[in-house]
Amino acid sequence: MICAWKELLGILPPWLAQEVDKHGSEVLQELRLRLGVPPQLICKRNTLFLSREVTMNDLNFCVNTASRYSPWAANSMAQGYITAPGGHRIGLCGEAVMTGGSMAGLRSIRSLCIRVARDFPNIAGKYRGYTGSILIIGPPGSGKTTLLRDLIRQISELEAVAVVDERGELFPQGYFSQGKALDVLTGCSKSVGIDVVLRTMGPATIAVDEITSEEDCNALLRVGWCGVRLIATAHASCTRDLHCREIYKPLMRTKLFTHIFVLRRDKTLYEERMEP
Amino acid sequence: MSLKWIGAFLIMSGCGLIGFSISAAYRRQERELRELISAMEYMTCELRYKMTPLPEMCRQAGIERSGIVGRLLTNLANELDSQVSPDVQSCLAVAAATAGPLPNRIQEAICILGASLGRFDLDGQLQGMESVRGFCRDQLERMSANRDVRLRSYQTLGLCAGAALAILFV
Repeated sequence: MICAWKELLGILPPWLAQEVDKHGSEVLQELRLRLGVPPQLICKRNTLFLSREVTMNDLNFCVNTASRYSPWAANSMAQGYITAPGGHRIGLCGEAVMTGGSMAGLRSIRSLCIRVARDFPNIAGKYRGYTGSILIIGPPGSGKTTLLRDLIRQISELEAVAVVDERGELFPQGYFSQGKALDVLTGCSKSVGIDVVLRTMGPATIAVDEITSEEDCNALLRVGWCGVRLIATAHASCTRDLHCREIYKPLMRTKLFTHIFVLRRDKTLYEERMEP
Repeated sequence: MSLKWIGAFLIMSGCGLIGFSISAAYRRQERELRELISAMEYMTCELRYKMTPLPEMCRQAGIERSGIVGRLLTNLANELDSQVSPDVQSCLAVAAATAGPLPNRIQEAICILGASLGRFDLDGQLQGMESVRGFCRDQLERMSANRDVRLRSYQTLGLCAGAALAILFV
């Protein structure tokens, strides 16, 4: 297991970094900081609360260090998250600032959800020979991104893979190993990035993480059947959920994905094949 | 007799030196203000085009600038990289304390910079930098008014004060 542990500790206030370090990278999965409440550590087998309460200074420290003191560089704050060095994702909650019907940022931050990015090389080894497009689904925290990361790495040993990594957490530069033929476009929305990599990078496979909007699905449909294989992840607990959700219906109806990997909360997986 | 002359000479040259050093400090302050304006211009361009994160931007701006402004920006980049302080303002305070004695006008400009740096989105940050540039330009304009006369008078005053003291004591 590979984890940018030092980077995670670096974004935490010193007192909290010390406490968190005691638990080690092997067990910690999530860290939740809520204003006026002790930090919650969600570990592999249990959840625990520390004794000291989180202050506004602690929250600001985390946000400032994670964004490298550069709110303009972390423009994803308007979407409610920041990706910290090492690929750790920080979800933000607080008082939102709305402009023209969309969220422009957060006036004051009241809680953070820090998800520890981990890399498990070779977990997707047996799927590297699969042909056809693959969709990985599962509930939050089931390991979709982790599986996708290794699947991309495995496939990129065989053919050119272009990744549109909107959140910059799949392959943060210098932290996780990459395949030999991997091109990563970060900081770009999936709907724009998919077209860009198709036109410019000549990929055999295009991979994206978390298709959540209609624009994402439309972009996938646009490049589907263009001679490029697609790999993506989505939030759903089973294929029935996909059929029920309006935005995924076109993907299911057109059978764009031939393999669907369904992840459960306990990190186990089963596969469903879509007949063409 | 010769001791008296040596004493008089030392007093005069000491006072003269003070006058010259005041005028040199004045020139240095002007130079530092120009350096700060140029650093702000560089950072504005970096922000507009690349949205470079603050530590890299300060490091690059610091490398390309000499004097106290260069040192200050490099120290700020180091302080930001070390991720010890909770916000940019406190990082800037540490960086300023370790950069050496700052001229008053530069100190004021740094205060204005600290109030905006790393706090706003791109537009807000650009405005913050523009206000620092505006302040520096304003200060330079004020300093350039009667600049030559003022500098000459500092030097002359030093020499005259030395001469007066020499006459009084020797």
